Amino acid sequence: MHFPRLFMVAAVISAVSVSACRRDAPEPPAPPPPPPAQAGPDMDSLRAYQDSVARAQEAARAEAERQRRVEAARATLTAMVNFDYDDSSIRSDMEPILRQKVEILRASPNVRLRLEGHTDERGSGEYNLALGSRRAQSVLNFFRDSGISENRFETTSYGEERPLVNRSDEAAWAQNRRVEFAIIAGNDQINPPGQD
Amino acid sequence: MIGPRISPGPGSHSSPRRAAGALAAFVAVALPLLSLAAPAKAQVVEDRFPGVSLELISEGTRALPFAIQPFAAPPGREDLAQRAENIAARNLRYSNRFQVLDSLPSSITRGSEVDYALWDQVGAAFLLTGRIEVSGNRVELVTEVHDVIYRERRGQGRFALPGVDTPEFRMAVHAASDAAVEWATGEPGMAASRIVFSRLGEGGNRELWVVDSDGENLRRLTNHGNLALTPAWSPDGRRIAFTSFVSGLPRIYELDLATNRERQVPAPRSGDYITPAYAPDGQTLAFAITGSSGRSGLYTYNIGRECCFTTLIESRNEDLSPTFSPDGRRIAFMSNRLGVGAPQIYLMPAGGGQAEILSPYRFDRRGYYSSPDWSPRGDRVAYYGRIDRIGWHQILISEVGRGNRILQLTPNQSGNNEDPSWAPDGRHLVFTNGSGRGGATSLRIVDAVTGNTRTLVSGMDVKYPDWSPSLARLVTAVDDR
Repeated sequence: MHFPRLFMVAAVISAVSVSACRRDAPEPPAPPPPPPAQAGPDMDSLRAYQDSVARAQEAARAEAERQRRVEAARATLTAMVNFDYDDSSIRSDMEPILRQKVEILRASPNVRLRLEGHTDERGSGEYNLALGSRRAQSVLNFFRDSGISENRFETTSYGEERPLVNRSDEAAWAQNRRVEFAIIAGNDQINPPGQD
Repeated sequence: MIGPRISPGPGSHSSPRRAAGALAAFVAVALPLLSLAAPAKAQVVEDRFPGVSLELISEGTRALPFAIQPFAAPPGREDLAQRAENIAARNLRYSNRFQVLDSLPSSITRGSEVDYALWDQVGAAFLLTGRIEVSGNRVELVTEVHDVIYRERRGQGRFALPGVDTPEFRMAVHAASDAAVEWATGEPGMAASRIVFSRLGEGGNRELWVVDSDGENLRRLTNHGNLALTPAWSPDGRRIAFTSFVSGLPRIYELDLATNRERQVPAPRSGDYITPAYAPDGQTLAFAITGSSGRSGLYTYNIGRECCFTTLIESRNEDLSPTFSPDGRRIAFMSNRLGVGAPQIYLMPAGGGQAEILSPYRFDRRGYYSSPDWSPRGDRVAYYGRIDRIGWHQILISEVGRGNRILQLTPNQSGNNEDPSWAPDGRHLVFTNGSGRGGATSLRIVDAVTGNTRTLVSGMDVKYPDWSPSLARLVTAVDDR
């Protein structure tokens, strides 16, 4: 008699799949109730039961994989882009990450971003507010030129006022010259590219 | 034999510039000889940059000896008189116009009449007298300035004194001091004024703080818990316009100092609203909007009538940090139109139009200039910058209309000197000083005529100081006779 053990396995899988399930994810098929204990062995219902367990496992796996891809997409979307000193042009080594962002934005039409420009501490504070604006604008232009509507972005600048690294050396300055990406709408509607 | 303490006159402080020999030396001379503040001598320190020299505004003024007769008071109020006298003496010293003779023995005065022969013998050119008068709850300071050489009274004033430990007490004495400067020289003082600035605090936030011109009464003005930047006084001294990120995006606010109420300049379109400045009418604010889909520029808004956005200048470049000439006819501002990384200072008509460059631009130098402030006297614009691509920032003055001659006020070895703002007397400037790494750590005041420099506040991360207009009329009733 293997039913009690199967029952336990099914319960565990069911619990796992429910807990892995997010509010916005499709409901995986619920496993059927276990056969009555007093009934004799019935190979058809056993097979059906095992199939439903496999389906639940597969759905849980797919959902976990989807979540992993969404998280990766969110990380890509919010990854910072760095700039050269006193420069607002997009560095060639920053284009791949921006192109990845473009793919995610294409797949996620409800996502809106705020592009926040920052500078290092050198130079005029007022000028650096403008320089940060220009960096945010450069990123916006990249997105627009890639076919993403500029209505999906707002830009602002913190100038030199919000350093990422509070030190005064070349390495810190290089990290502080950046545009940050804040998701201001559609945070729960991020679709990894190549899906849906 | 009278033995008055001789307080240092202009030029007797040691300073790096003097060490560098850029100034004619002043000689501290014992009484009865007078020290003569020689006119500042121009010296071109950068032969590579013709027209820019490390020098001072040439006024050809003498530091006249100004004696202070011990202030008098009714019995029991002597401490009041002493306090007022000390504040006034320091103010006269900070004016950098006089050699101050104070802390004289009270026995020097005989009766109520001014003994001109005595003060002549002491070596004074001017004499300040003061006495505390009390009637009921009302306490007043009565001051007079006498011309010792011509033996005549030059002015008299009566100043209501609030409680001795209040900021208003000090401000009333500041107003009396400025009146004394004006009676003696015919020019305005700057003691009755304050400096507002942006100070770094908890969590990387910046709030606006304010301090009196003599470094007293430091206090916080805003509580935004975010970034409050680039404050600017209204011409009546009652309001301060500034940029704040409190809403999440940089917007312009106006703080009413009497009511502590704030109102926001509306933001009809996207972009960062920064660097506000008042027009002389006190109602029109000029400011920059940057990062608005490539449309940046300078705009005005009438905050008094709460209407009427106008565009002064708009382009794909950044134009920011406007400052009005005192007659309201022109604006100085900074712009990067000659290239990213090389902002320059420009002048243009206040309504917009053709802009002309003011800063010492050289095509291959990548000079960098920022933060203009138009002098209340109208003939000079201060800003800061560096002539080369590298190097520390220094305080510069362009003499508008006199061939736009450029003076460098701070010596090359003194660190990063930034964000100059004129005092209401048109000769002192407040600016930030730092090492160039991390934020500036002090506010300093320089006299553009003598080069004397003093520290206003230190030991804090400070930015964007703005010197108020004269606040004398706001805080005390002056009764000229």
